[in-house]
Amino acid sequence: MSDPKMKFLVVDDFSTMRRIVRNLLKELGFTNVDEAEDGQIALQKLNSLPFDFVVTDWNMPNMDGLTLLQNIRATPALKHLPVLMITAEAKKENIIAAAQAGASGYIVKPFTAATLSEKLEKIFEKMGKKAA
Amino acid sequence: MSDFSGMEDLLQDFLVEAGDLLSGVDNKLVDLERAPDDKGLLNDIFRGFHTIKGGAGFLNAAELVTLCHLTENLFDLLRNGELVVTPEIMDVILSSTGSVRDMFGYLEQGVQPPAADPHLIEDLRRAIAGELSQSSSSAPAPAPAAAPVAVAPAPAAAPVLAADGLDWNELLEAVTGAPASAPAPAPVLQAVPAPAPAPAPAPAPAPAPVVMHQSDAELASKSPEEVIKAAVGRRASDRPGASGPVGRRDTEKTRDNSIRVDTSRLDQVLNLSGEIGLTKNRLNALRSDILNGRSDTETLHALDLAVSQLDLLVSDLQNAVMKTRMQPIGRLFQKYPRIARDLARNLGKDVELVLSGEDTEIDKTMIEDLSDPIIHLIRNAVDHGVEETQERLANGKPEKSIVRLEARQEGDHIVILVADDGRGMNAEKLRAKAVEKGLITDEEANTMDERQSYNLVFLPGFSMASQVSDVSGRGVGMDVVRTNIQKLNGSIDIRSSMGKGTTFIISLPLTLAILPVLLVRLGDQPFAVPLSMVREILPIEPAEVQEVGGRATMVVRGEVLPIMPLSTLLGWEQNQTPEYGVLMQSAEQSFILAIDSFAGREDAVIKSLDDFRPKGVAGVTTLSNGQIVLILDMKELLGAMGDTRGVSRRVLLAHLELPALAA
Repeated sequence: MSDPKMKFLVVDDFSTMRRIVRNLLKELGFTNVDEAEDGQIALQKLNSLPFDFVVTDWNMPNMDGLTLLQNIRATPALKHLPVLMITAEAKKENIIAAAQAGASGYIVKPFTAATLSEKLEKIFEKMGKKAA
Repeated sequence: MSDFSGMEDLLQDFLVEAGDLLSGVDNKLVDLERAPDDKGLLNDIFRGFHTIKGGAGFLNAAELVTLCHLTENLFDLLRNGELVVTPEIMDVILSSTGSVRDMFGYLEQGVQPPAADPHLIEDLRRAIAGELSQSSSSAPAPAPAAAPVAVAPAPAAAPVLAADGLDWNELLEAVTGAPASAPAPAPVLQAVPAPAPAPAPAPAPAPAPVVMHQSDAELASKSPEEVIKAAVGRRASDRPGASGPVGRRDTEKTRDNSIRVDTSRLDQVLNLSGEIGLTKNRLNALRSDILNGRSDTETLHALDLAVSQLDLLVSDLQNAVMKTRMQPIGRLFQKYPRIARDLARNLGKDVELVLSGEDTEIDKTMIEDLSDPIIHLIRNAVDHGVEETQERLANGKPEKSIVRLEARQEGDHIVILVADDGRGMNAEKLRAKAVEKGLITDEEANTMDERQSYNLVFLPGFSMASQVSDVSGRGVGMDVVRTNIQKLNGSIDIRSSMGKGTTFIISLPLTLAILPVLLVRLGDQPFAVPLSMVREILPIEPAEVQEVGGRATMVVRGEVLPIMPLSTLLGWEQNQTPEYGVLMQSAEQSFILAIDSFAGREDAVIKSLDDFRPKGVAGVTTLSNGQIVLILDMKELLGAMGDTRGVSRRVLLAHLELPALAA
C-alpha cells in the first residue's frame, strides 16, 4: 500500500510548515507532493486532480482543516481518501472532533520523520485491512 | 556555533515568514485596541501565535513555543468571549509580542532564545486565569497579595468525558492508532510542552509587583528610544543619533540572502529568456547568411527586425528580473503602527498612524535600509510634530492627530511621505538655532529661503537640541536619516506649514541596479553623473559669469550659484573654456558643473569597482560603443575640494580667446 508514487496533498497556511512536511515525506521516500494554502484551495485541487493522501493543518484561514475533512468525507469521490490531521492542538476535544469527522490519523506538532512514518504505517495498515 | 546546524534553511524560512506574521499581529493588535470585540481580529491573532508556535516546535525553540502557547491560550479565551480585552490584558499581550520578537532576534543569530521574562509568563498565566484585570485595578497598592493561583491542572477532565458516554479510548485509538490500554492522554499530550502540569514559576519570586509590570506607569517612565527599541527589537547601535557609516550590518547579511518571489514572476523571466534564445538563433542564422555574402534588402530588413526584437526582449527581461527583487513596501510599513502607538501612548498623545500605498513595490535591499530612517521620521512626527493635547484643543484641532505614512510610485521614482498634522516648523527659529550652534553664519542665514531653512535639521550637530524650544529635537538623528536615504541614491525634502503640519518626502529610485546618468565630456573623455542630481543644463555665457567673493558664479533665476569646472574637481588641467553648465542640486547645495560638451543620457548598469575605489568614483559603466565610463560621485568630489569651493572667473575663462572682461 505504501507506494512511493503516492500523491500527497499537504495543506497548511504557513509555507515553512508545508516545507517541513514535504521534507519529512521526502525522507520517507514520498516525493510526489503538492501543496495548498488552505482548505478551500485544497478542496479545489482535490476535486480537479487525483490525490492518494491528504495531510492537513487544522487552523487555517478561509477553511480550516476540520471543515476540509468534513467536506472530503461528504464528497463521494473523495471520502475514501486518508486524511492525516497535523496540528499543535493536543486537546482531547479536538482529537475527538477529528475522530468523529473521520480523520484517519492525528499528529501533534512538532514531530519527527519517525513519528510521521509510524502514523502513516498505521493508516496504510488499516486501509490494507479494510481493502482485504 | 549555531544551535541550528542542518536547519539553517528552515530557520531562514521560518524567520522571514514568522516575522511577517508577527508584524501582522502587531498591526492587528493596534486595531484591536480600537475594536476589542472584533472576533475576526481575535481569531487572526490567535492563529498568528498558533502558527508561530507550530513552526517554533520544529526548531526545538521550547521557550518560544511556551510563550506563544500561553499567548495563544489567552486569545482562545478572548475569541470565545470567556475573557474581554482590558487595557491590562492588552499590555500583557503587547509585551508578549515584543518578547516573541526578541526571541526571533536570538534565532536570527543562530542561538536558542532564553526563557521569557518570568514576570511576563506569570502575567500571561494570570490573565488566562482571568485574574489580571481585577487585581490590577487594585494594583497601585504595593502588595495586592495575589493568590498564586495555579493554572487548573487539565488531566482531571478525562474521566468526565468518559462519564459523558464518549468512549475516549476507542476514539483515541481510532485516531492515533495508539493501543487503548495505555494511559490515554499521555502520549498525545506529551508532544506539546504542556503548560498545565508544569509547576508555575510563581511561588518563588514574589508575585506581588508583577501585576503592574508593563502597565502605564512603567511605560511612561521609559524613554521613547526604549519604546522603539522594545517594539522593534533593534540593536542599540541603531538608535537615533548613533551615526557613523552604516553599510550592510553583519546580522542583516545572514538574513539578506533569501527572498520570496511570486512564481508567476519567475515564469516570466524564464519565458523571456526563452524568447531571447530564439532571437539569438535567428541572429546566428542571419550572421551566416551575411558572412556568406547575402546582403539583399530582405536579409538586412530581417536583421533589423531581429535586433529590435532583441532590444525589446532584453529590456523586458531586465524589468522582469528587477521585479523579482521587488517587494511590497507594506511589509515594511506593517510594523510602524505599533511603534507609533507605543510612542504616542508613552508621550500621552493620541496619534493614529494611517498607512496607504502598501502595495507599492520597491527593491528588497532598499526596504531593509529604509526601516530605520522611517522609524526616525515617525518618531519625530509623533514626538515633535504633533502638539500636546491641550495645545491642539486650544488651536481648535481634534484631539486625535493623524500621522500619515504613504508610498506611491511616480514615474521611475518611489515617493514615501511621512506627514503629521501638527504645529509645523518655524523657519525663523530653525535659522536662529543653527546660527546659535555655529552651524551657519549670519549671512548664510539671511540668504536662506524657507526650504533651505527646513533642511537645516539635516545638518549633523543640529540634533539633540534643547528640549524647550518648539523646534527642539527635530534634528534627532536627522543627519543619519538623510545620509541613509542618500546612500540609496534618494533624496529627502521637507514641506511644512505653520500650524498645519510637516511632511517629509523621501524620493527613491526604483532600483539600485540601474542608474539614469547624464554623460558629459571633458575634452574627448566622457564621464557619467547621476541624473537625479541634474536640474537643468545651460550654456555658460562668459558675459554672465560674475565673480562673487573670488569665485566665478552665475545667477540663475535670482539664485547665485558657484561654477565648479569638472576639470578642477578632477584635478585636471583646463585645456579649454567650458561651454556648458549643468545645474546640479543635492540636498545641501546647488552649483553649476562646468563641462566641455555632452554625450547624452543613458541608463547605466553600474559595475562596482569592489576593492579598488578611487575617490570620487561611484562605479563604472559600459557605453553602447563598448567604451568604459566612470560614474562620478559628486559628493565625494566636492568633499575632496575642501574649502576651496570653486575657481575665480579669470581661471574659468582663461582659455577664452576674447577676454570678456570689458562686457
